[in-house]
Amino acid sequence: MQGLLYLRAMTDDPIADLLQKIAAQDRAAFRAIYADTSAKLMGVLLRILGNRAEAEDALQEVFTRVWLRANRFDAEKGRGMTWLIALARNHAIDRLRSRHDTSSDDEAMNAVADPAPRAEARLIAHGEARRINECFDTLEADKAAALRGAYLTGTSYLDLAAQFDVPLNTMRTWLRRSLQKLKECMEP
Amino acid sequence: MTRTRQTDTPEDDDFLAAEYVLGVLDLADRSAAEDRLKRDPNFAALVNVWQNRLSGLNDDYAEAPAPNLLPQIEARLFPQPAPAQRRWFGALVGLAFSTIAALGLIAFFALQSPDPSMFASLTAESSGLRFEASIAGNELTLIRSGGAIAAPGKDYELWIIEPDKAPVSLGVLTAERVTIAAPVAKPGYVLAITLEPQGGAPEGKPTGPVVAAGPLQNI
Repeated sequence: MQGLLYLRAMTDDPIADLLQKIAAQDRAAFRAIYADTSAKLMGVLLRILGNRAEAEDALQEVFTRVWLRANRFDAEKGRGMTWLIALARNHAIDRLRSRHDTSSDDEAMNAVADPAPRAEARLIAHGEARRINECFDTLEADKAAALRGAYLTGTSYLDLAAQFDVPLNTMRTWLRRSLQKLKECMEP
Repeated sequence: MTRTRQTDTPEDDDFLAAEYVLGVLDLADRSAAEDRLKRDPNFAALVNVWQNRLSGLNDDYAEAPAPNLLPQIEARLFPQPAPAQRRWFGALVGLAFSTIAALGLIAFFALQSPDPSMFASLTAESSGLRFEASIAGNELTLIRSGGAIAAPGKDYELWIIEPDKAPVSLGVLTAERVTIAAPVAKPGYVLAITLEPQGGAPEGKPTGPVVAAGPLQNI
């Protein structure tokens, strides 16, 4: 894409700018957003689905939806990348739930394995991430781990309960209290 | 294991929104939440707030190499149109194409790229601008061969126009020679350049004058 510049900082959110162009049927913007975000979305899909072939299939579906749904993106409600990741997570979790819903999922649980700690520099560059991590630190360790694991891998209540060896309703109470604490901590 | 949900209180709705965003719900509860999302704007707003609130966790997703699946995605989204219609050849007359110029361009592009399949010469009598475009393999190359750069505060923007369709932006030109991924194109599609505010047409539709245009041709 050398020599071409799609946007010159219409907002401080280049992904949002691309989404707005895609909403206007701009195919060049669609290619640009694929180039810019497919690796991140592949990371999301792979983490949740735990299987490269399925993640690639899901990636096609996600970008198809990006084209079809870009007109629903509202830059006033959040950042472009947040919207894209929500789209990818929702699709992957829907697949995971449809795959099977009754028993504990070894594949999903293996995919829960925590990755290496994030580089400190990245967190500093992302005030939002730092704030949520600080708030996670105020939670008890196992509750914070359950919450984080649920978000990152789309683990169901059933599997979380099995993983932490607590009854399902206990897990639900854990998450409810933890989410409430997180919300209070993050409120300005 | 669908639970009977008490969703009368704002706290319960907020928790359900958080559970949905977290992804912990089973299939039945998740489907119910998705249905509600579509018809209950208040619930959708709660989900949006949780989506933003938890978005800091997205940094934990490491990037993973993604294959280029664009060809399959685009084939699904943009089925190839019917072959170009002959009436476009009438439009060519107005653009004053000469056989000699065409042959010259073939020689020109033969030196530039391995296997050009289409070319277009973009001209306009009034502007003095001239651009030569070629599509070879997966790339479209555009070279300004005559005329000046856009005035300060303005940009040239490249568009492709399928017969009887709205122009689709291919981006803003920032150099004398640019190479981009080839758009879906057929002989008879028109490449056009408009003069736009800096950064390009704000709403994805051309707003400024056409400063050069020409149809794509098979070589």
